[in-house]
Amino acid sequence: MDPQMMVELGALTLVGAAALIAGVAEDLESDVGSQSNPNSQVQLAPQMGYLHRLYNKAISGEPASYPFYAAIGASTALAVLSITGSSSLIGVFFALVAGAFVTSLIHGVYATTSYMGRLASQSRFGQPIYLDVLRTHTPVLMAHGFVANFSVLLLTWVIIAQHFSPFPFVVLAFIWGIALGGVGSAVGDVHLGTDRYYQDRPYGSGVNAAHSGSVVRKAESGLRNSIDCAWFCSKFGGPLTGLGFGLVVYLHFWKEVVVTGWWSALAGVIIVVIFIIMNTYLERYSRQRYGTYKEEAEE
Amino acid sequence: MAEGERSPRQLLAIGVVGGLVGIYLAYFLNNMTGTAWFSFFAGLGAVLAVFWGADAVRRVASYGLGTGVPSIGMLSIGAGQVAVLLGLAVAKNYNIEVAGPIIALVLAAIIGIVNGVMARRVIKMNIAIMEMSMTVIAMAASLIILGFSTAIAGSFAFDSIMSYVVAPGFIIAVFIVGGMAMLHPFNACLGPDERQKRTLNLALSTGFIAMLVAGIASGAINGVQAAVPTLIIAIFGWIIYYLRFFADTKQDAAALLSTGLLPKEEEVA
Amino acid sequence: MFSLLYWVWIILGGILIGAGVHFIPVGGAPAAMSQATGVGTGTTMLAAASGLTGLIGAGSAYASSGGAFGYTIVMGGVSAALMISVLAFIANVMYVYGAGVPLASAKVKYDPITKWRQDLYVSRGTEGHGTPMVSFISGIIGAFLAGLGGALVYFALAASYSAIPGFTATFGGYPAPYYVSLAAAFAIGIFFLNCVMASYNIGGTIEGFHDPKFRRLPKSIAASLVVSAVGGLFALLIVVMLPGGL
Repeated sequence: MDPQMMVELGALTLVGAAALIAGVAEDLESDVGSQSNPNSQVQLAPQMGYLHRLYNKAISGEPASYPFYAAIGASTALAVLSITGSSSLIGVFFALVAGAFVTSLIHGVYATTSYMGRLASQSRFGQPIYLDVLRTHTPVLMAHGFVANFSVLLLTWVIIAQHFSPFPFVVLAFIWGIALGGVGSAVGDVHLGTDRYYQDRPYGSGVNAAHSGSVVRKAESGLRNSIDCAWFCSKFGGPLTGLGFGLVVYLHFWKEVVVTGWWSALAGVIIVVIFIIMNTYLERYSRQRYGTYKEEAEE
Repeated sequence: MAEGERSPRQLLAIGVVGGLVGIYLAYFLNNMTGTAWFSFFAGLGAVLAVFWGADAVRRVASYGLGTGVPSIGMLSIGAGQVAVLLGLAVAKNYNIEVAGPIIALVLAAIIGIVNGVMARRVIKMNIAIMEMSMTVIAMAASLIILGFSTAIAGSFAFDSIMSYVVAPGFIIAVFIVGGMAMLHPFNACLGPDERQKRTLNLALSTGFIAMLVAGIASGAINGVQAAVPTLIIAIFGWIIYYLRFFADTKQDAAALLSTGLLPKEEEVA
Repeated sequence: MFSLLYWVWIILGGILIGAGVHFIPVGGAPAAMSQATGVGTGTTMLAAASGLTGLIGAGSAYASSGGAFGYTIVMGGVSAALMISVLAFIANVMYVYGAGVPLASAKVKYDPITKWRQDLYVSRGTEGHGTPMVSFISGIIGAFLAGLGGALVYFALAASYSAIPGFTATFGGYPAPYYVSLAAAFAIGIFFLNCVMASYNIGGTIEGFHDPKFRRLPKSIAASLVVSAVGGLFALLIVVMLPGGL
């Protein structure tokens, strides 16, 4: 194996690890803020008479808000680098941290406006705005957002430094932000929506549409808040999202590093086929293990 | 229309006139003095365009778009981006650099009408004001992109925008931050008790945050001259309108509690 | 010089993006509660996520191959398909182990590809959960088309803009040439344009090509054709307006 490929694979491993951390942090942040899909249940709950002490962050869904953070972070990092210069590694690192920090402040502001705005627009259902929920949850989600955003910026920087992609820094960070939001929304939100918000329903079934809005509001000890939800999802949802996004980023560039030219396209197709086969086994396993919900004779 | 609400025509006037005045002030003052101290005017113009655009999004989204509020913002800002760059290129080609923003606005209106007609007539979305709204939102989006790009680059000459905004990739930052500033207010205030005044206060607040980001990016290009006035004005503007939004929230909410348990059934009015 | 061929590529790319959105299985907000078949995101955003990952692949391919047409668009499609297959598979792992539900569709009685029974495995009060094989394959096809379309748009724009004098240069310390930045920014814009139009056509959720809503595809093709034509025209007129370059 030639040395250039070894350097590239090493950089790629760093990129994959950063992507994994980004995925975990992204999912936990969206759980603390109750963003995106399961938020529809939190939004519905006061209307059905179920008042709650959960956060209600509606910054237009994860695949739209994560590119937003990535673009702000990347712009700030470039602004800092224009002053310090990008020759030293520690200078670059500091610029990325500064970018992620400024973004987390803006993130916090947007989150508070969303909580206040949504709940004030539900005043006819009697849902109060709890300032202590705002005070305790916002820093937590800002911190998780900081980690996720910093990881996205780091992986984008390494990709550009290793010439894996010709795109500008801000554009590439934007696109990986959308991909991160998409994976987080598809994978992690299910754990929150099906398992945690409806923890009082039996495991092993989708949420019945008749139960919409009746999220769990009374927790193991005291009232349920969204930080409890992030704790729960950190057991499975968060790490799985990290695995998902890490695989997306790693495999995307791996197929171009180990082989070049048309072999990369073939490698991509082979990986897709492998995933199709794995999905077949998974589907068959789920049917054999869980069985049917109703008998044939009922029809 | 509820009393005390601003009419669409009023907002169109504020958006177009305010936006263009801000952009032209920045361009002329920067050119006359040969510096970048006056870039912040373009940022203020863009904030007024956000104000206008957020109301237009509010009007069309309350009909029920089926895919959520962010989609119309993303559509229009994607279209507005092309219109802006073509408008500036046309102005450069025919040596009428000063007319760039007007041409961009007209081109954005064209794309907006096409999008609106497609959405209403071909896809058969059942929204009466769709063509008008798409046109207005596309025009507002083009003013937002032009305003923030001018704030970053210091002038709206095509060469400046290409070198200072497109090449580093800031165009995408303006795209998403401006788009988010326009669509977040209604999305964040979604609900049966949404009020225009509160939503528009939030729109000005998010507009000033977008101006803050443009200020940071302008620091990378024009250094202290562009960044410092823009950042100071953006932070002040944001504080003022965020506090107004908070006051509106206190007025509108069922209850604003420091802490507490869930209200009992009897307490809920 | 206005190139008719590149305009056709942009229109075709836009149509493929819009078509791809109809293939990708999206359950929307209910999918996160395991109430609907498909991936739990919005139609626009999932297509954008996979298609734009394909755009990254296309960008790298264009740069490394020096502008080869076939290689760029195939890599765009394959990168997008790879992204969605990973995403949908990991989401299925979550459904099976996290939510404890088998993968099932509520729109058909037998899966068209595996011929496995579907309706008995749908939990009560839901419209299916997870991404069964037909939706998975449909998603891969959809992402491939969206990636292909995005790569076509990027190819047309990059090839046009690199011909403008001065656009292959870079500015300052920023490593990306002008034409790459502009082509990427416009490709993202045209991508969103077509994705949102297609999602308006779908109006919520869709399970894939076996879903009855799939028959709405021709309307989306017509709409994508017109909006991509106008958007592409505007993007390519920039080339005509800059005979002298920067």
